[in-house]
Amino acid sequence: MRKVITGNVAVAYGAMLSDVQVVAAYPITPQTTIIEELATMQSEGLADFDYIRVESEHSAMAACIGAAMGGVRAFTATCGQGLFLMHEMLHYATGARTPVVLANVNRAAAAPWSIWSDQTDSVSQRETGWIQLYCEGNQEVLDTTIMAFKIAERLRLPVMVVLDAFFLSHTAEPVDIPERERVRGFLPPFDPGDIWLDPDNPKNFGGITMTDAYMEFRWQIQRDMEKAKGIITEVHEEFAEAFGRGYRQVDEYRAQDAEVVLVVSGTAASTSRDAIDYLREKGKGVGMVKLKTLRPFPREEVIDTLRGKKKVAVIDRNFSPGATGIWAQEIRSALYELPDAERPLLYGYIAGLGGRDISVKTIEEIYEKTSRSDGPDDVDMWIGVNYV
Amino acid sequence: MKYIDRRVSVPLCAISINPGLVNKTGTWKFAEPHFVDQTSPCNQQCPAGEDITGYMYLVGQERFEEAWRLIMEENPFPAIMGRVCFHTCEEQCNRKDHDEAIAIHVVERFIGDYGISKGLTIEPPKDERGKKIAIVGAGPAGLSAAYQLRRMGYAVTVFDSNDKPGGMMRYGIPSYRLPKEILDSEINRLHHLGIGLTMGVRVGKDISWDSLASEHDAVFVAIGAWEEARAGIGGLNKGGVFNALAFLREVNLGKGPQIGKNVVVIGGGNSAIDCARSSRRLGAEVTIAYRRTETEMPAHPEEVALAKEEGVQFLFLAAPKKIAGRRHITGLTLEKMVLGEEDFSGRRRPVPTGEFFEMQCDGMIMAVGEGTRVDDLPPFITHKGGVVEADEMGHTMHQKFFAGGDIMDIPHTVTHAIGSGKRAAIAIDRFLEGKKWDQGSLDRFRWGERGNVSLGRINGTMLFPRRTLSSAVVAFKDMNTFYFDHRSRTKSHMIPLEERVKGFQEVIVSPSKEEAVTEAQRCFICGSCTECGNCHIFCPECAIKSDPGGYGYIADMEYCKGCGICVNECPRGAMRMEFME
Repeated sequence: MRKVITGNVAVAYGAMLSDVQVVAAYPITPQTTIIEELATMQSEGLADFDYIRVESEHSAMAACIGAAMGGVRAFTATCGQGLFLMHEMLHYATGARTPVVLANVNRAAAAPWSIWSDQTDSVSQRETGWIQLYCEGNQEVLDTTIMAFKIAERLRLPVMVVLDAFFLSHTAEPVDIPERERVRGFLPPFDPGDIWLDPDNPKNFGGITMTDAYMEFRWQIQRDMEKAKGIITEVHEEFAEAFGRGYRQVDEYRAQDAEVVLVVSGTAASTSRDAIDYLREKGKGVGMVKLKTLRPFPREEVIDTLRGKKKVAVIDRNFSPGATGIWAQEIRSALYELPDAERPLLYGYIAGLGGRDISVKTIEEIYEKTSRSDGPDDVDMWIGVNYV
Repeated sequence: MKYIDRRVSVPLCAISINPGLVNKTGTWKFAEPHFVDQTSPCNQQCPAGEDITGYMYLVGQERFEEAWRLIMEENPFPAIMGRVCFHTCEEQCNRKDHDEAIAIHVVERFIGDYGISKGLTIEPPKDERGKKIAIVGAGPAGLSAAYQLRRMGYAVTVFDSNDKPGGMMRYGIPSYRLPKEILDSEINRLHHLGIGLTMGVRVGKDISWDSLASEHDAVFVAIGAWEEARAGIGGLNKGGVFNALAFLREVNLGKGPQIGKNVVVIGGGNSAIDCARSSRRLGAEVTIAYRRTETEMPAHPEEVALAKEEGVQFLFLAAPKKIAGRRHITGLTLEKMVLGEEDFSGRRRPVPTGEFFEMQCDGMIMAVGEGTRVDDLPPFITHKGGVVEADEMGHTMHQKFFAGGDIMDIPHTVTHAIGSGKRAAIAIDRFLEGKKWDQGSLDRFRWGERGNVSLGRINGTMLFPRRTLSSAVVAFKDMNTFYFDHRSRTKSHMIPLEERVKGFQEVIVSPSKEEAVTEAQRCFICGSCTECGNCHIFCPECAIKSDPGGYGYIADMEYCKGCGICVNECPRGAMRMEFME
């Protein structure tokens, strides 16, 4: 079935078709319509889950962790301030190896108060051990939500599906909605594995761990994050087989012979495609690499894709105060391995914070700036700031 | 990062299969929760010492007979109480700070009426103590003492100079407030208990105090306040001029005194209101003249409001000076007053201005206060300033004589008299048992620090199986009102205004069962555990469990960490945090 739906509705479809069993959430703009849509679906008999109305996002994640440990598929959604409030529990979900799925609508950090698109919220949670999957369009949002459950449950690590505020959450696009039976064929029923609160077999999880064992638990997380790359690729392939749409952790567009390669994520990738087409018509040698995963960081693929390119322009819709944009940091650190001759010049751009548009013009400006210079002016360059 | 060839021997997450009971988290605490049943402010306030929260709990569960018996433990006249008591308990009710105070008198009236309609009785005592007690005065104090003493097993005889028992309840309070059938039903129950009533006998005249004292093991004197206060104006013997007590006696005997068509009542207390409203029913236009203002009037505001509704006029800052008319009153000269300094009662004193004015009237009632007829007191007990010298429990200078009711220095209300009679009964019982008097131990059986003594507490017949009883009174701030919604108070129904002054039928109508139960369910049950289970539900350690003794909960101190959540979430302040040494 094909419908014109917003990104939030696409997330709701993803969760609903995946037979989510517990939703514990707290409303926050611009995520609220995800959980409202799920509630409507439930009242129309399309879904059958327990909705736990909690008083904060911290409790929402705590409830999801508890639900997963209780043996059911759990889901929640949040943005910006809500994700920050959840922070402690994000770490906990990872350490507890609970396969919770969270949809995060990228929203700028307060203060000052802003509800608009900005990646700082999710990228600043990269240390929590969640797998992070970024989406450029509503189809990808729906598909990624379904795949998220499979990835999480296969790996026993939580997964965050990330979409831009308003550009995706509140913008409607035509989306192919898969049939429930086919999703059930793709996604097996939830299996709690060893981390299961079974009253017939009572156990205590996550208890106090002394200095002689903690490190081993953390090592396992890292090991499984390493396995994640392979598992994400597997799930992408299984999805393509079942539904005819394929995704990649690192995707290229007209980058093969590009002099300047843009590196983008989220909706900026979608805009970049158009910008690249316009620039190519004018004879400019520009291409792009779209990154879908922030964690696990696809180091080898990034190195292979960018090796030998002349110039790489990373567009960050976020930054780490006192350092640079975060995607730029990750990429720079990966490229450090390459010998000088193969290491591209890296231009780090910061654009589109707090919902400021990254338009075709913005990208063209970034391209021009990159291509006309011999090297970056600075370790990061801000685009579109109104200086006096 | 080469992970493939390496292994570690831990599971995915730390898993433990040993129970956590080995960790005695109780050692962490420095404060512990205690289940302490504290006193509700209404119980402390009740001059008769009733267990109000107890009977609210029972009525809320429609356990009406049990509620009746709980009141009867402390007070034999709930149907009377629910009608004539001015319910100061409601002024202390904690719920008034949440929305509105519980209409306690409505519930009490319901229970009293239930007892009458079901013909409930109190059985005579199983064992006779073999001692005899004389009670002089069949008013509320005397009858209350008689009732309690008889239940304890003593032989009791009540002497009264009137034809029928009841004292002020019969001869003072008019029927539109307390119907005679209700009064008779409540008093007649005493016959079943085996209390002897000798009416028409004035002790000190028909029988001597000496012979009474020699024939009985103890004597309780409760002759009441039947002496009208002096007014200090001339002409009080003219036709159409009455004193309140004589007037009300005629009214209550059904004699319908010839009061006239245009009546002035002098005074500001409840007697003045009774006289005024009765006069209205006898066909008169009535004005109450009081020498101070409405603020200083001792009459209960509810009575004043009802009087106004019934057409009684009020004239303030006016004192009578002279009665006009030869044989019969034709008018009254009054002096205008202004308010001066405060007097001993804390009210501003009326000061004469020297300005006078005339009023026409053909009837006048002096209702300026009642005192004890000290000449009627036995010579063995001393008095001063019109009141008997006795302690709170009624001990007088003479070991065998006890005093109670309006002859004491207590407010002149039926409720106070009933409370006084109960205290005297306890004192008499101790005296006859040869027990040494101990004020301190009796303080243990009070409701709160200031309340009346509770027989239920002395006899151990409390409603809630209490573990620790505290005199501390629960304040509103000790409650957790999150657990209570907002519901307004049940209002009393009254017969239509046009009907009221047509005769002496009762003005206030009895509540329905649903109204009484709903009102009782509004009660917070301050200070007593009702097994709501909050403590048990919210304890993060699952350290609060049902008490194996059968009622309520206990905290397992081996695991309780002293977080205090249970105490905080107790809706009714039935728990306390105690800091440990």
